[in-house]
Amino acid sequence: MSHTEAIRARARQLLEEKQVSCVIGYEVGPRGRTRPTFIYAPDQIDRLVWNSACTHNLTRYLPGRLKVGKPGEPPPRVAVVVKPCDSRAIHVLLAESQFGREQVHVIGVACEGIMDARSDGGQAELQARCRRCRERMPVLADDVIGEAPSLPAELDPDEDLARLEAMTAAERTEFWLAQFDRCIRCYACRQACPMCNCPICLFERDDSLWVGIGIRLNEKRAFHLGRAYHLAGRCIGCDECERVCPMHIPIGLLNRHLAAEVNRAFGFQAGVAPVLGPLVTVLRDGEVHP
Amino acid sequence: MSIEPGPEAFEPRLLGFLCTWCSYTGADLAGTARLMVPSNLRAVRVPCSGRVPPELILKAFDNGADGVLVLGCHIGECHYDNGNHRAAKRVPTLQSLLAFAGLEPERLRLDWVSASEGERFARIVSEFTEAVRRLGPCHWRWAAMQPEESHLESAGGRR
Amino acid sequence: MNVITRAGLQAWLQDLADSRRLLAPQVVEDVVLFRPVDDIRTSAALDPNAPRPAMSIKEAFFPPTERLMLIEPQADPDTPGRRRVRLTETLPEAEQVIFGVRPCDARGMAVLDAAFLEAAPPDPYYARRREGTTLIGLACKEMGPSCFCRSVGGGPDDSRHVDVFLSETEEGYVVQVITERGRALLDGVPLSESDAERPSSALSDPIAVPDPLAWPAYFEDPFWGQMSERCLSCRICAYVCPTCRCFDVRDEPVESQAGSDRFERLRCWDSCSSAGYRRIAGGHNPRSSEGQRLRNRFFCKFYYYPLQYGPSACTGCGRCIDACPVNVDITEVLGHLVTG
Repeated sequence: MSHTEAIRARARQLLEEKQVSCVIGYEVGPRGRTRPTFIYAPDQIDRLVWNSACTHNLTRYLPGRLKVGKPGEPPPRVAVVVKPCDSRAIHVLLAESQFGREQVHVIGVACEGIMDARSDGGQAELQARCRRCRERMPVLADDVIGEAPSLPAELDPDEDLARLEAMTAAERTEFWLAQFDRCIRCYACRQACPMCNCPICLFERDDSLWVGIGIRLNEKRAFHLGRAYHLAGRCIGCDECERVCPMHIPIGLLNRHLAAEVNRAFGFQAGVAPVLGPLVTVLRDGEVHP
Repeated sequence: MSIEPGPEAFEPRLLGFLCTWCSYTGADLAGTARLMVPSNLRAVRVPCSGRVPPELILKAFDNGADGVLVLGCHIGECHYDNGNHRAAKRVPTLQSLLAFAGLEPERLRLDWVSASEGERFARIVSEFTEAVRRLGPCHWRWAAMQPEESHLESAGGRR
Repeated sequence: MNVITRAGLQAWLQDLADSRRLLAPQVVEDVVLFRPVDDIRTSAALDPNAPRPAMSIKEAFFPPTERLMLIEPQADPDTPGRRRVRLTETLPEAEQVIFGVRPCDARGMAVLDAAFLEAAPPDPYYARRREGTTLIGLACKEMGPSCFCRSVGGGPDDSRHVDVFLSETEEGYVVQVITERGRALLDGVPLSESDAERPSSALSDPIAVPDPLAWPAYFEDPFWGQMSERCLSCRICAYVCPTCRCFDVRDEPVESQAGSDRFERLRCWDSCSSAGYRRIAGGHNPRSSEGQRLRNRFFCKFYYYPLQYGPSACTGCGRCIDACPVNVDITEVLGHLVTG
């Protein structure tokens, strides 16, 4: 049974038995592009697919949809199709009490990697994040679709990150100023991220308290560095922020740098377990402090 | 021909976040004891070092600070029990991010000063002032927008 | 027909780049954007295979951030102890030429002109930039997979709304002078006479577009809630669009000398698709759902704007289709309204 068939079968059962009110998965649109979809009835499940273009992190839809309603109402329950990286986001969201474990039925897919849509011209190739990825099975799931794929003999190192780390401070300043200059402050990176779920973003306040509304270098840099900082110990490395950027800014570099730093300083990786990251907790015995 | 002042004449503009209970009181003590403390530091009093958010430190650099100093109570002595634990973890993480973005991490310093440590306060501020002086002026802040600035003229426009 | 050779065009553009400000498509990292040109050879302007610029030329007239005025409280010299406020309007100086303007972007200027200039008082910031800019249009040899200019009153070889219009041929480019300003720009530029016909562009099939008056009946259609569920409420569609023009205005502090305060009034891009766009003082948000926001966006393009100004506000450039991270597709919306 293909992944698509297995997902459809599970979705049909969940909806027929009214275990969930909605299945969040992927469909293919009229132009042939894979995109998120929301299935509410068993007769719609044929829209669901699984393919190598299922890039979106569907867990970003969970915090908004799983808000508890009026007292006495049962809390909403949905099913969501997740890749291993996406499943790590569910751990972080659970640790941060965004919703209860019983509110989400996780359909986890064993992942062989997602294709890079920007590579269509020449040789279609896997996204860079997938070429680095060693976690091919979801970290939590109520159903697992597919067998664990074998890892390739050699995983790509993070060359872009290594290149940045090897630069001098002045070169890095130049690099980031050029990147942020192109930014149009569309906030797609923030909106695509499951962990960016503040009701009102610090950097978009009506009183300009932390950052003004200007789409200028100072403001854009403050937004990106501030957002990366707020994701330290929380970002699970799906790199969707980078994929959605219309200006092709390699914004994931900031998150990957901080993920490595948090791992080095605190031995912590976000999303492996449903626990809070180190930046919101007290020092553990033996933890380094200046 | 006018002579530009050399780097040794550079007076760093430093912003300090001092927690009410320990480090700000320690700074007061340095003052009443007439200890020599460089006047480069402007102190901002906060309830706790754990209250200092990264956005505020970024804002300080964006507004022209050459260095930012965060002083709190020693670990285990925080007035709020463990507020300084947060600072202990957050400031080094922010330093790492700023370094990655091109700002020298030595421009941001976290340290602990208790209410009775006036001399320690004076020493830390002197050390920090000299360290930032050696680094020179901070070029982090992008020039304020000129009235005619167009988006297409900004920094990367001609790359 | 007048024709300019490739070499002639390159020389003319380099001359413009040297003598004044020339904006043309440039490759910035791997994205094509309109940027000032120093050396025309390094720009994407003359590369026939360069993709459509990711952003439209709207940035050159309605920039993402613009200072409207400087606000300076000062001591009142006549009355000690009192303060007054000096307001300085900061109108832009803008003399520029833009090369490589495709018909969809040119048509976008016509849409923005109506909104910014038609009502009184006209927007002086936009007007200044518009008065100072000359547009050199360029025909598209073929329509792209997401283009539908033809279905909204335009076309890949539509020569309106620019000052000079170029169409590529084997010999070079057919040159059409559209306005006096264009004629002046071509002064002294060597052109040759040719019997060549102006080439026509390869067209793709038109898409169905509903009549503006058909829209009100669909206001309560559950379609809006369904098609918008995947919308991220980012601002990509509005920002890449040649005609979207919503903005926010705010007064913010500017660096100043110790002891004085200065503020600037900033106008910056905004988008009705963002979650907080319609939130009002007190916290109520009449467009709190994605469906309400996207419904507004499409009604604005195809009903509100035409009702006020005439033509549709969409120029069929297809940028929103390509850039949307979750494939919200304006042509699917139009198709739904046509088929019911």
